[in-house]
Amino acid sequence: MAAGEGVVPSPALEASHALVRRAGERLGHGIDHTVVALAGATGSGKSSLFNALAGVDLSAVGVRRPTTSTTHACWWGDDATPLLDWLEVSRRHHVTGGTDLDGLVLLDLPDHDSTALEHRAEVDRVVAVADVVVWVLDPQKYADRAVHERYLRPLAHHAGVLVVALHQADRLTGEQLEACRSDLAELLRTDGLDDVALLTTSVRHEAGVAALREVLVERVVARRSAIARLEADLDSLVVVLGETCGDGEPPRPDGGGRRQVLDALVEAAGVGLVTDAVAGSHRAAAVAATGWPATRWLRRLRPDPLRRLHLGAEGGAGRTSLPAPSAASTARVETAVRSLARSASEDLPLEWSDAVDAVARDRLGVLPARLDAAVASTDLDAGRRPRWWRAVGGLQLVLAVVAVVGGLWLAALAGLAYLQLGSLGTPDVGPLPVPTAMLVGGVVAGLLVAFVARLAAGVGARRRARRARVRLEAAVAAVASAEVCDPVDAVLARHQRFCESLAALAG
Amino acid sequence: MSARPDLVLSLVELRSAIAATRFELEVPGADASETERDALVRQIEDYLLPRLRSLDAPLLAVVGGSTGAGKSTLVNSLVRAEVSSAGVLRPTTRAPVLVCNPADRHWFEDDRVLPGLARTTGVEAGPGTVHLVESTGLEPGLALLDAPDIDSVVSANRALAAQLLAAADLWIFVTTAARYADAVPWALLSAAAERRAEVAVVLDRTPPEAVEEISEDLRRLLADHGMAGALVRSIEESELEGGRLPESQVAPLRAWLAGLAGDAEERARVVRATLDGALSGMERTVGVLATASREQEQAAAALRAVATDAYADARGDVAVAMQDGTLLRGEVLARWQEFVGTGELMRSVQAKVGAVRDRAWAALTGRSTTAASVQEAVESGVEALVHAAADRAAGRTVSGWRDEAAGRALVRGRTRELAEASPVLLASLPDEVRAWQGQVLDLVREQGAGKRTSARIASYTLNGAGLAVMLVVFAHTGGLTGAEVAVAGGTSAASQKLIEAVFGDQAVRALARQARQDLLDRVEGLLGGEVQRFHALVDQAAPADGGHALREAVDGWRAARRAAQW
Repeated sequence: MAAGEGVVPSPALEASHALVRRAGERLGHGIDHTVVALAGATGSGKSSLFNALAGVDLSAVGVRRPTTSTTHACWWGDDATPLLDWLEVSRRHHVTGGTDLDGLVLLDLPDHDSTALEHRAEVDRVVAVADVVVWVLDPQKYADRAVHERYLRPLAHHAGVLVVALHQADRLTGEQLEACRSDLAELLRTDGLDDVALLTTSVRHEAGVAALREVLVERVVARRSAIARLEADLDSLVVVLGETCGDGEPPRPDGGGRRQVLDALVEAAGVGLVTDAVAGSHRAAAVAATGWPATRWLRRLRPDPLRRLHLGAEGGAGRTSLPAPSAASTARVETAVRSLARSASEDLPLEWSDAVDAVARDRLGVLPARLDAAVASTDLDAGRRPRWWRAVGGLQLVLAVVAVVGGLWLAALAGLAYLQLGSLGTPDVGPLPVPTAMLVGGVVAGLLVAFVARLAAGVGARRRARRARVRLEAAVAAVASAEVCDPVDAVLARHQRFCESLAALAG
Repeated sequence: MSARPDLVLSLVELRSAIAATRFELEVPGADASETERDALVRQIEDYLLPRLRSLDAPLLAVVGGSTGAGKSTLVNSLVRAEVSSAGVLRPTTRAPVLVCNPADRHWFEDDRVLPGLARTTGVEAGPGTVHLVESTGLEPGLALLDAPDIDSVVSANRALAAQLLAAADLWIFVTTAARYADAVPWALLSAAAERRAEVAVVLDRTPPEAVEEISEDLRRLLADHGMAGALVRSIEESELEGGRLPESQVAPLRAWLAGLAGDAEERARVVRATLDGALSGMERTVGVLATASREQEQAAAALRAVATDAYADARGDVAVAMQDGTLLRGEVLARWQEFVGTGELMRSVQAKVGAVRDRAWAALTGRSTTAASVQEAVESGVEALVHAAADRAAGRTVSGWRDEAAGRALVRGRTRELAEASPVLLASLPDEVRAWQGQVLDLVREQGAGKRTSARIASYTLNGAGLAVMLVVFAHTGGLTGAEVAVAGGTSAASQKLIEAVFGDQAVRALARQARQDLLDRVEGLLGGEVQRFHALVDQAAPADGGHALREAVDGWRAARRAAQW
């Protein structure tokens, strides 16, 4: 039942708690006693029947209506005082001397249909706890709405607990009695009490109560009535609770809905921005490491895109500077979560699908912060620098040195020429003099290497962005599970547990 | 003799007003109000109107009581004929039997009284009929109506009995020694006492030895219920003689009835007393119904307000999201950045619209960086926003309604369907957004026409300019902080500058305002259609005038009654 807490309407849950409590209390008094309550309309003859069974004039029989105003008890055999205390019946009588009725606790109830409303309340109270209820009907009143609609129909699961006695049978001729009896049987069928025990009784003849007495002896000896009553209560409770269980198949986890939620969250988390920044950062670092030395310092002036988002190696698990999710992406997340909840709870009764919807949307407010934290704590592998960068960087340095040496050489030559100190010969490489070849070759090769390295860095940046995307999506998926999918699954699991335990109870 | 015709006319009007009152919202007590309204309309038709029209018609005494009390046996014994079948099966009488002297037959055979019940004269009377029997056992001037029981499991009987009792000039209430303290009859008797109807109580099946004691107890109960003056007659429990009560037991009662039938003055007094009481009772009931009707109207207004509030908030959310620039962030801005950053804008500035589009589509490589994708981003953003807002408002309305009994009944069985945006909205949303985008382009074109700027617009291409306006719509009030602009590449400021260069600052403001207003209008139209779903549900069930017509009609009736000095 704990599985249904907060979801199943509280009256049904309270009823189940009350039943558990009552079952404990009733069984605590043992099943050696069988509590039989005589209930019926005013004037139906409950008290006369009670007296006839007890063999003593205990309950006042009278012509004024209503006659009996409090419950009377009469017990046979072992001490039933604690049980009667529990039943809150104070007017008691003990029949001594062992008879076959030993173990019977017979209660004579007030009427349920007179103008005295407190009588009705007392009847309601006792009828709800007695092990066996003998409903005393008479030929005048057997079709009254008050008894059928208020008491018999709600007890439709209690056919085994009920005994219906058509009392004052002596007022009718044999033929009339038979017609009356079958009419009553038909009415009881309409009430849903198909196989309830139906007797005819009378106190005017000796044999009139024999049949009822026999039934009571049978129940007293069997000592099963207390348990049968609780089982019947349980059955009707299971039916009530079963309405909140639904009859559809247990809902299947919905892959499409989850994918949708994940996509919307990926967008809301700004994964695209981050992966772009990762790629940009990679490219910037590559250029800084492998670019043409003459211009690579310019790159350093531009901030690293990752660092600007407060991400990257030293970013750690703090907050990022990613812009908050846009209204549109928040809206998309909300719509996706709604549709996930809806598809997951499609076959469930309303109470449960409300619960699913509520837990799914419960965390919408904290999702941005969670996503941000997830992105911040994802290792983007930002600080890593490929080894070839260093090699290329070295090469660029060498090329730069070559170009500079060539340039200096040429400058020296130019200086000597300016000072008219004659010209030093220069060795030639092919058609070009060596210093010229060094300057031009160094610059051209440096630019060429920078270009090729940039192309390679572009490939690397894309690969790295892809890797970052995979990791970020995994992080977002973890958030989606923790904040949306798992709570939904938990409710679905609760529903299943609830229904399974109900089925076990019913079985 | 008839009462004043204007009184009758006024009552007919009141009847129509009552019949037109609806209690279809399931607020607590609505069912009871409906039952009460139906009962009142029937009483007016069955009794008040016929009685007002002909005050001198014979007295109709309705024999009512619990099942098994012996009503039919009593009627048979009184008229000394087998007119109503009696038996041991409960309930016995299922169709009412009306017994009258042949001389009075013409009063009852047409639909003057009880027009809703067809008359039958054959042996078998079916449901919805009155079995009409002539008998010389009754004096002219008084008719007996054997009603079904008031308390058996057959609910049709209970309703019919209540209807017949409401149409009685005189109630002959039959109860028994075993029954006289039952709660159900006393509820009816209390109502009769409240209405000051004439009641005679017959205590049937009394054990001879207990007659005194029970009669005394019964009188005490009657006095407690405000009917100290009611006539009580006991009939001892005895063997039936040929299915009838012994003559000695019924003779006093018969003599009393015959005396009443013969005494025109006493009869008129009884008729008048019951009629006056019934009219006052009717006025009270109409007051109760008017109050209930007002409650209905209030409940309906509350339900409408829940829906209206939810959708007003939804519209507010959409407006805020569009105004503070948040919609612009993320995807839209990123696309714009790509659009500007790749130089696509500069190229499209010089090219014609068609050429841009071709180039744009040609440039599509997985994640597009074209003008088309900016448009898509704006479009899907607005769609997502409106969709979520509509979902939220629908969910809020449904859960708000489910807190109220009336609302619960209205959404019953359709909860899931109503708790989300309607398919109509989802179908028309993309069209609306596209139509808005078209309108923005038209606005740009209009602004350009006849101005010196038109040449410049032409060079920027309409498409690019229109897009820029759309972005300005979302960012114009500047929800973006400098840092965010920097993150996004500083582009919204750039787009604003661009567009301002083309149109001039004032014109851009006006354009943006107009475009935003147009979009909000469209959203409002869409959400208006959504809220209408809920209002239509309320309208179906709720009365439009909240009992106003009813109160007017009863005022008219009271005035007529005063004028007639009734």
